[in-house]
Amino acid sequence: MYQIPRAEWYDLTRATNWTPSYVSEEELFPEEMSGARGIPMAVWETYDEPYKVTYPEYVEIQRQKDAGAYSVKAALERDAYVDRADPGWISTMMAHYGAIAVNEYAASVAEARMARFSKAPGNRNMAVFGTLDENRHGQIQLFFPHANVKRNRQWDWAHKAMHTNEWAAIAARAFFDDIMLCRDAIAVSIMLTFSFETGFTNMQFLGLAADASEAGDHTFASLISSVQTDEARHAQQGGPSLKILIANGHKEEAQKMVDISIWRAWKLFSVLTGPIMDYYTPLEHRSQSFKEFMVEWIITQFERQLVDLGLDAPWYWEDLTKDLDTTHHGMHLGVWYWRPTVWWNPAAGASPEDRQWLEEKYPGWNKTWGRCWDVITDNLNNDREDLTLPETLPYICNMSQLPIVGTPGDGWDVKDYTLEHNGRLYHFGSKADRWCFEQDPVRHQEHQSLIDRFLSGQIQPADLPGALAYMGLGPGEMGQDAHNYAWAAAFKKQAKVA
Amino acid sequence: MAAFPISSNFEGDFVMQLIPVDTEDTMDQVAEKCAYHSIGRRVVAQPDKVLRVRMHQTNENYPRDMKVSEAGWRPTETLDIIFADS
Ligand SMILES: [Fe+2]
Ligand SMILES: [Fe+2]
Repeated sequence: MYQIPRAEWYDLTRATNWTPSYVSEEELFPEEMSGARGIPMAVWETYDEPYKVTYPEYVEIQRQKDAGAYSVKAALERDAYVDRADPGWISTMMAHYGAIAVNEYAASVAEARMARFSKAPGNRNMAVFGTLDENRHGQIQLFFPHANVKRNRQWDWAHKAMHTNEWAAIAARAFFDDIMLCRDAIAVSIMLTFSFETGFTNMQFLGLAADASEAGDHTFASLISSVQTDEARHAQQGGPSLKILIANGHKEEAQKMVDISIWRAWKLFSVLTGPIMDYYTPLEHRSQSFKEFMVEWIITQFERQLVDLGLDAPWYWEDLTKDLDTTHHGMHLGVWYWRPTVWWNPAAGASPEDRQWLEEKYPGWNKTWGRCWDVITDNLNNDREDLTLPETLPYICNMSQLPIVGTPGDGWDVKDYTLEHNGRLYHFGSKADRWCFEQDPVRHQEHQSLIDRFLSGQIQPADLPGALAYMGLGPGEMGQDAHNYAWAAAFKKQAKVA
Repeated sequence: MAAFPISSNFEGDFVMQLIPVDTEDTMDQVAEKCAYHSIGRRVVAQPDKVLRVRMHQTNENYPRDMKVSEAGWRPTETLDIIFADS
């Protein structure tokens, strides 16, 4: 059968639009879903996605990707890598799966919104593939950890986490709801694909793939790479939207969407990726520090992309650069200290050798974060584990839904950014978190942080065990120190030798 | 007598914490309740110093015997707990 060559039909099909006659354009593309912002249909038809693919090509490539990842998994299953992997690496996988897998499914809803409601035909075309991508990411990242459920109940949190009120799950949902589920199609293309995916997904997946190969976890490495190549494609949907918004007098709003999304993504990654890269991944397998990854992927590369598009670096760029030295150390210490409240076993990453590395990568670490870890180490070495476990809740930011942290020890600098709004006192972990709230108070004002829920009596009994039950954490699920305090004992040995 | 939640920003610590105090507590009692969740956990005790309470990001300590009910705080107010000579 004669087939028309691709070049002869592709441009026509990917740019197909139609003039509605049974309903009005406004009914077909409601503004709250489409987000055309008054820019006419003819202009949206100029949307030019840089990556072009046909459906048969897409299906063929995806089939190969799946076959590749699943066959690596099957081939290595008997090898039982998981049983001999460092516990810190296991925690990395558990944290990743729980925070990411189900949100990939949610991302397919966001992609589907663009596929149906974007006024740009090219965007709709790309987003159909994006919807299928994210569905695949949800499935594959649930199927792989499911093989380990027999080993430990914590693996079940790959699926369970996002269906609970566990604090990190609340934080992840609050972020993803804001940037991808509760926005119009054009905002999704900018806040999800351009801001979050080109910047942060790249870093999480390429960084983790590098660490996974280093750690000898080829199953995880191939899974991650298989996901990443999809992301690299569908992340390109935001750029053309930005060009159209900027050329049609909406630069200010475009910039604001980018700024909000990058800040919120940064905060989520400071608690998820920061601890993974600088503390959980065994020292000998760390390819770069979290700060080095952030500088390369976000500060340098992403800023260049913004400038190329005619946007500015976000107003908080200097604050962000400074925070790369502090925030994730606080998030890590918080996660470790409140370890019963997470579904993975945090690795302290504070052995003598770890601390040397931290001091090298983050000069001054020993006199700040190290001061807190000194007290913790002494307690563990003097049979006072009880003092290394929490008896109250950390105060939570009303934007990031994460603890309000800062530098401890000799450089003590912990700040709360408050706002009184409609008679309610809100607390924020940074100026930028408060700024995100102020851009659209109505959007955020009703949300209750875990602390708000605790104080309004939603958590019963109103104590830490009550909070753990509220978060859905049962026995065998609550986190413990990944290495059973061997890192602290190493200091004891050191002292004896001395 | 009524429970009153505050956010404790303890000198040398890395995180703010929710601390339930009582409207009848004195500032010394507030400091003690906050210290319970920081000192010996992530902050080293300083026995030669006293702990003073002040509004977050200000320099003036509340009188040590002042009661919570007299301080005019909003629920969940953020307070700095500081090591001082007296
Ligand atoms: Fe994805
Ligand atoms: Fe994606």
